[in-house]
Amino acid sequence: MALSDHFPALIVALLLFSAFLTPPVYRWTPRFSAPLTTFCLSAAFLMAILLTAEVSRSGPLLYHMGGWPPPYGIELKVDPLRSYALLVILGVSLWIFVYALKDLSHELRIYVIGWYYTLFAILVASMAAIALTNDLFNLFVLMEICTIAACGIISIKEDRECLEASFKYLILSAMGTGCYLLGVAMLYMATGYLNFDLLNGALTEAFSLYPRNIFTAAALFIVAFGTKSALFPLHVWLPDAHASAPSPSSAMLSGLVIKVFAIALFLIFYQVFPREILNAVPLTEIVLWLAAAGVMFGSIYAMLQADLKMMLAYSSIGQIGFIFLGLGLDQELAITGGLYHVMVHAITKAMLFMSAGVIIYTTGVRKIKDLAGIGRALPITMLAFTVGSASMIGLPGTGGLISKWYLALGALEAGRPLFVLVILASSLLNAVYYMPIIISAFMHQGEFEYKVRPVPNMMKIPLIIGALAVIITGLLSRPVIVMLQEAVASML
Amino acid sequence: MEDQIVRMTSRLVVPFIQVYGIYIIVHGHLSPGGGFSGGAIFGASLVLLALSFNLEAGMKQISHQTASVLESGSAIAFLLAGMAGVFFGGNYLANRAAGYPLGEAGALFSSGAVFVITLFLGIKVASTIATLFYNIIEGED
Amino acid sequence: MEILQGIINNYYYMAAIILFVIGMHTMLTHANMIKKVIAMNIMDASVFLLFVAVGYRYGGQAPIIVEGADGVYANPLPGALILTGIVVAVSVTAYALSLIVKIYRFYGTCDYDEICELRSDE
Repeated sequence: MALSDHFPALIVALLLFSAFLTPPVYRWTPRFSAPLTTFCLSAAFLMAILLTAEVSRSGPLLYHMGGWPPPYGIELKVDPLRSYALLVILGVSLWIFVYALKDLSHELRIYVIGWYYTLFAILVASMAAIALTNDLFNLFVLMEICTIAACGIISIKEDRECLEASFKYLILSAMGTGCYLLGVAMLYMATGYLNFDLLNGALTEAFSLYPRNIFTAAALFIVAFGTKSALFPLHVWLPDAHASAPSPSSAMLSGLVIKVFAIALFLIFYQVFPREILNAVPLTEIVLWLAAAGVMFGSIYAMLQADLKMMLAYSSIGQIGFIFLGLGLDQELAITGGLYHVMVHAITKAMLFMSAGVIIYTTGVRKIKDLAGIGRALPITMLAFTVGSASMIGLPGTGGLISKWYLALGALEAGRPLFVLVILASSLLNAVYYMPIIISAFMHQGEFEYKVRPVPNMMKIPLIIGALAVIITGLLSRPVIVMLQEAVASML
Repeated sequence: MEDQIVRMTSRLVVPFIQVYGIYIIVHGHLSPGGGFSGGAIFGASLVLLALSFNLEAGMKQISHQTASVLESGSAIAFLLAGMAGVFFGGNYLANRAAGYPLGEAGALFSSGAVFVITLFLGIKVASTIATLFYNIIEGED
Repeated sequence: MEILQGIINNYYYMAAIILFVIGMHTMLTHANMIKKVIAMNIMDASVFLLFVAVGYRYGGQAPIIVEGADGVYANPLPGALILTGIVVAVSVTAYALSLIVKIYRFYGTCDYDEICELRSDE
């Protein structure tokens, strides 16, 4: 077999390898550890690109760990949707890591930076594996690894807020995993399989025998993934965790970690549960209303915040609602829009947290009202912030418009014009809290009141790349949308 | 806390616990147990030493630095043992296809890759438990 | 009556579910962090019990192949899965406990309500 056939396993193995190699390397020659992790992340990203090309050329790819076919072994699967998720995860995390190299040195104590690289690599590895795995129990283990690593990159700052926030996050997501495992047990009781494809085949028959088991499992999955990806009433852990963490961690958590679980729920709904189960109970209807509530309340809470990072964190609750809105509408165009929003929001929110990080790094300001006049002191940062806000609001030329457009089209197609109204209202609310920041930053009469350090290039360049990426997702969305639409159409 | 009985008992018991841990690790493919259970038993013996004497006595067996190097090293070794499959024509973590000798069923060396992997897993778990304990005890370093 | 019969026949499932609910309730309502961690373990253990109960067959032996032995074996897969689950639960517990140690150093208490009071006093 060619080496390229092993890429699904090698991506994960390479990232874990870099994670475990970093602590000894950092102990003896600290300056090698950052290039090592950057190299491994780039190599993994390259492999993901090659894998995507391979999948789009010759169809889905299955990989059996250890040569054991299912139901005995763990199966990894790469189909267009998963390769899209993989590309987003690896690309965005590589970009965030480049930013983190500079930012970490002032937010963390020097001897924990090596450990931060380790946690970062483990987090990326587990997220990539969540996108790849085709096995329910394997998914459980990876979810726990992901949660611990995510809590780790919050609590590594070791001040009170971070420790409390990560404890809260840990406990609530432990509740989520408990529910998930119970759901897996229910499905295993009914069918005897854990593999996605085998379950899909067996569930149709099992559904007539044990409908209650399967309904319970589906409900538990919604609770589990809802908790982990901060679906509206289960979001309570998110604001503290995302706002108190170091800025690269916030970018990572808000940008990727919550989305990965949304994608996992999506995979379970459309690749595990057969169509008749989704039709028999209003599962997607529940998700739809929760998502709509999340979209509205996330934006309303965000308006009330005085702290910049807190506002961005609450805005994430609203935006994750859009992704679930696509899932809830259960209609091809809407799901495409929701999935496209995964990429758009990953890039946009990561960039917004990065610019918040730059503001904190150069001036130490965290409060929104202190930002007046900052536009002249930090022009590039605030320009990037403006582009990001435009995408959050959904102005033309940015990725935010494309995903909301498809969501709205899907809502109309499904005969639910009410949700078009929700999308519009939320855009308006977003404008209400993003616009004043930009206006007061650029239009404020008088000088910015705080001392400003120069922005290092290592932070400026990722921001510029991010702003360009947001515009590119807005202008050149066609190929990705077509790919997603085909992938979704083949699953519905 | 200096209790003669506790110290004497643990000094007597620790070697047996460690041998038992190694036995469980090595016989992972033949009987219930394996890398995690055996490693946890071995790690517990280190914790017992550190608790009943003091931190230095536990550190004398495996220092904090050695433990953390072992921790990373065994994980890397695990990944490399899996890579053997890729190099020799099987899948990742392949056993027979990677050319590991399988031996006779029921014998000690009869499982190819599983034996190697369990061994590294045991080292990893034992050293992880030791580092976890040292870290919590030491606190601010 | 039929439902009651079903419950009696599947008492081990019921036990697992009751434990799960106890764990979840304690985890979400108690203010003491150590109790939260204990409850988390109870919750995990209940799911493990359920999984292992699924794999058991009446009169089944431990699934180890020995010369000359025949008959039914318990399903080994849930056992293997649960071992993995226990490993995961142990690591989460260890991490949660080390967080509690750190929080205790800041506040001198493990009780969430007291921490909230201390913070509001500042």
